[in-house]
Amino acid sequence: MRKFYQSLILLAAIAFIFPVHAANDFAEKKIVLQISDNNPFKQTLVLNVANNLIKHYGQNKVAVEIVAFGPGLRLLFEKNANSGRIDGLVANNVTFSACQNTIAGMTRVLGHPPVLHASATPVPAGVVRIIDLVEEGYIAIKP
Amino acid sequence: MIKRQSKNILIVAAMMGTMAASTAQAANWLMLQGTERDAAAPRAKVWGFIQPEYTSTSGTPLQAGPWKGQDAVFNQMRPNLKTNKGFNILRARLGVRGTGLPLDSNVNYFLLAELGNNGITGGDNGSTKLTDASITLNHIDGARFRVGQFKTPGSEEGLQAIHVFDYINFTGATNGLLLERFFDGDGSDLKDANRQNGSVGAFRDIGIQMFDTFKVSDWEHSYAVMVGNGNGINRTDNNDSMETYLYWSSEQVYAGAGPRREGWKLFAWNQDGKRTLTKNGAGEYDRTRSGLGTTFKKGKQRAAFEYITADGMIFNGTDGGAVPGSRNNPDSATASFNMETKGEADGYYVHYGYALTNELELDLRYDVYNRMTDVAAKERKFDTLTVGAQYFFNKKSRLIVNYEARNAEAPNLASTHPANQILDGMDDRLSAQLLIIF
Repeated sequence: MRKFYQSLILLAAIAFIFPVHAANDFAEKKIVLQISDNNPFKQTLVLNVANNLIKHYGQNKVAVEIVAFGPGLRLLFEKNANSGRIDGLVANNVTFSACQNTIAGMTRVLGHPPVLHASATPVPAGVVRIIDLVEEGYIAIKP
Repeated sequence: MIKRQSKNILIVAAMMGTMAASTAQAANWLMLQGTERDAAAPRAKVWGFIQPEYTSTSGTPLQAGPWKGQDAVFNQMRPNLKTNKGFNILRARLGVRGTGLPLDSNVNYFLLAELGNNGITGGDNGSTKLTDASITLNHIDGARFRVGQFKTPGSEEGLQAIHVFDYINFTGATNGLLLERFFDGDGSDLKDANRQNGSVGAFRDIGIQMFDTFKVSDWEHSYAVMVGNGNGINRTDNNDSMETYLYWSSEQVYAGAGPRREGWKLFAWNQDGKRTLTKNGAGEYDRTRSGLGTTFKKGKQRAAFEYITADGMIFNGTDGGAVPGSRNNPDSATASFNMETKGEADGYYVHYGYALTNELELDLRYDVYNRMTDVAAKERKFDTLTVGAQYFFNKKSRLIVNYEARNAEAPNLASTHPANQILDGMDDRLSAQLLIIF
């Protein structure tokens, strides 16, 4: 019984240490897409690119992560007009990361934290997240 | 009168039933014009459109009456009424819209100015006038608020974005009853042309509107309640009475988004208020407009129908059909614009369009306008059959060509009566317009 609890604690610790994304380990291609500006057309474009990658390679053969920071974080606002498309991409294993530095900055401006899409995973810094992923073998693209 | 209205309603219901069984343009104008996309709108999107046009009639002069032989106002080219054919920049609009602070989608704005030569700019050759200046607050679910000057919730033909209008000219009922002209007098002064005291209403008012849209399955239900001055655009009110507007639409959405969304929409509306004249016929008069209709668009087909009724403040053309300001042949009176303060009127239109290819669409519209239906001697019936074609160079630029077969009569007067002789001189009208949206 004690081993069982030890295993649970170990699993919880692993989940805590590596909470961010269950990357597709079998992916033959790994892409990180950057959205960091205010232009609404860029929001649509980055989602289109993610969708096209999934269609081209197949969802099991490509890992796609969209990292939003700066003004680009608006893509991950809960009420974003594209939230339906985000849901669809999440269903195809696309992951979304939200920069905590940006969240903190927007909190100061708004007077409250921005409400984010349920599938957005906070990361300490968007740009650092991209660097980390590149070091892991991801190709970084800013559409 | 009640019997006649009942009969009209039955006809409308039958036509709507027919259209419902078959299949027009269905878009949610309240949301498209009043709000921005949540968290996806720019701080400032600059946009606009330009509509140069050519219009021609035969220029048939007045066939009877005190102004016989002079120019007929209905065969002249709007808005200046000085020629029967020629080029004009009907509309040239420049605007900016968005969300002031992009982090807060709850506050949107919409600003649009008219630089063309039309009833808004007063026909004075293109001075700039503000058409829209509004702020929308989206903080309360189910009750958005739009404040400022903007299109009022009402007739589909008036409420729709003009740059997706399938024709060049409005239907008779919309032009006569809803594109409101504002005068100081009723036109009974024989020495005064009774010209408009400013811009046409342009289907707009200054006030506050509560509205929203609710989605239930594939249906979208929208409402709007508005209170405004009821005195057109770029003016303050001139009486203590406020204009009220009510609007409801239910639309089954088929596919797509934006102004050319595919769907089937049913709608009804009402507006009610008072108008004040300060010169001849001075006083405060009731003005009511109501309507209902449907639009459909699916694949290559689009159709629309709308029935409109009016009570009070009926724009009644000009004396003898002459151009306002012209003296009659005996030199005893000046032709003026006229307003029947207590008249009634109604009208309807039916539209069908078919896209032959992605580039070419053919359109057919029949519209009827019955003016002054409550006074037999003053009643006039106008009907127009419009045949149109639209050639799309691309998604945002097109050429529109319209041929309007126009007829008018005084149904309760003898065919030899001067009124009917004058109306017999109403020419058909050919128009061509280029449109680019940017």
